Amino acid sequence: MALFEFSDRPLEVGRLRAALEDPSCGGFSSFEGWVRDHNDGRAVDRLEYETYAELAVKEGERIVKEAIERFAVRRAACVHRVGALGLGELAVWVGVASAHRGEAFAACRYIIDEVKHRVPIWKKEHYADGDSGWVNCERCAAPIEADAHHAAHPGHADAGTAAVQSDYSRQTVLAEVGERGQARLRAARVLVIGAGGLGAPVLGYLAGAGVGTVGIMDADLLEPSNLHRQTLYALADVGRPKALLAADRIRALNPGVDVRAYVERAEPGNLAAIAASYEILVDCSDNFSTRFLVSDVAVRLGLSAVLASVYQYEGQLQVVRPGGVCLRCLWPDATADGVVGNCAEAGVLGPVPGVLGSLQALEVMKLILGMPTPAAEALVLIDLRTLETRRIGARRAAACGGGHCARLPAAVPAEDLELPVAALASAFAEGYTVIDVRDARERAEAPAPGPHRHVPFDRLLEEPTQLAASGRYLILCARGQRSKAAAAALRRAGIKGAWSLRGGLAAVDPGGKSA
Amino acid sequence: MSVVEVQYYAVLREQAGLSHERVTTSAPTVAALYEELRARHGLSLGRAQLRVAIDGEFADWGAALAEGARVVFIPPVAGG
Repeated sequence: MALFEFSDRPLEVGRLRAALEDPSCGGFSSFEGWVRDHNDGRAVDRLEYETYAELAVKEGERIVKEAIERFAVRRAACVHRVGALGLGELAVWVGVASAHRGEAFAACRYIIDEVKHRVPIWKKEHYADGDSGWVNCERCAAPIEADAHHAAHPGHADAGTAAVQSDYSRQTVLAEVGERGQARLRAARVLVIGAGGLGAPVLGYLAGAGVGTVGIMDADLLEPSNLHRQTLYALADVGRPKALLAADRIRALNPGVDVRAYVERAEPGNLAAIAASYEILVDCSDNFSTRFLVSDVAVRLGLSAVLASVYQYEGQLQVVRPGGVCLRCLWPDATADGVVGNCAEAGVLGPVPGVLGSLQALEVMKLILGMPTPAAEALVLIDLRTLETRRIGARRAAACGGGHCARLPAAVPAEDLELPVAALASAFAEGYTVIDVRDARERAEAPAPGPHRHVPFDRLLEEPTQLAASGRYLILCARGQRSKAAAAALRRAGIKGAWSLRGGLAAVDPGGKSA
Repeated sequence: MSVVEVQYYAVLREQAGLSHERVTTSAPTVAALYEELRARHGLSLGRAQLRVAIDGEFADWGAALAEGARVVFIPPVAGG
């Protein structure tokens, strides 16, 4: 089946759907666009679609391919009608098949939204009063322009379409900025890891200030629960990749900024290669493994990094300079994900990451402008309930020297720590002790299947030696984050047979809740 | 016995139910002080997961407690 095609005959949903069937898929999502009986307050009784097929098919195929790549779905297709259609007829059909439902919904939504925006299709509406009129499909009046805007990286302030020019006069009037500082901002290259509650103010302020090159790295799709703190986005954006949304938003804010979006999660395998084209890394992630990774990459590549994190009403801020105090100097025993909650688990008021993200933007600008950065060689603690700020001075650990932090552990790749879900069923027979590290409430709500022990996560991290060093252990939690951290901690403690169940209990039951 | 000022952050503040307190203790080191307070307040985090600062500077767990010391227990935070 073609990725994208036009049909001048009625669409047969059953046949379209059957063409996407795949035994490896547990979820299928489809969208149908129907001819409705009104538009803009006028009664419609039929319509006609016309297209410029050569261009439209190419653009349509590109969209479906993008969706398959971005959401890692197995199969997807879109068919659009052309010609005359009556009321209630099927005008457009999108189908997506994938392993799980989440990506299927998101990819389906992405395809129909992008098709409506980008594929040149014109619609002639015939109204009940005998009149008729041509209607462009949303933005397709200027598909070429929009496309060029996405593909190119405008590198100069005169790029972009707005006649109004960016005006930095409110900041260049400052003695610390001036024309020279503005030139430094324009020459600066900053990579922001995480486009969430911290990332939103960082990105907005950096783009507004005219920082020349801004990278945005985030693999997540926007969720409605993000909007109370992630001020770059709108409700209508839900389901789309945040890196792309943020890139569009800050390009609109300042077309002079060269914006690069990376729809991927920062991992040991990709961050150093991407970070090598930047001078300053800004960690706006919501987990420890990424934060340590950002600090490690900064130390290895000799870059500066501005780190922040929040917990309910409190925040922590740290600036890492080349040769200075890094995150591992402060936390010598790499802190495991799951030790304390992130925003989703612990709750947060929107302005809290807003304040910390604003401080990060400010520290980045201080670094670029060569101003003193008191948040270097220290950890700044901010309690936004009491408005108390505390700066704790820190020294570089003895192990951290010569531009290389000797505390950087030889990272154990995730695939060497995790076993696939299928391992659970045979774990007991194969001599593994299964350990559930979830807390009592979680266990009561959804008990783990099969014979297993329970050791709370904190207890396991604190005393890994309570397990026999020669044993084989399969550790599980709700989603595989804590268990991975626990397995890594056990390995460090010399227990070579410690494994984590990939994806946790959420992945155990794909036919049920997670399909 | 010495009297010290103790400040808690994040999950420790939640579990202790207060953000700071004045503590009279015979603990010789900050490690011993933390274990004493951990038992009293039922704090979940072990020392391996925390940092301690004395009078505005990070300190080792073996550091001695002096009269009037300002001690801050700092857990890492992850949210963003």
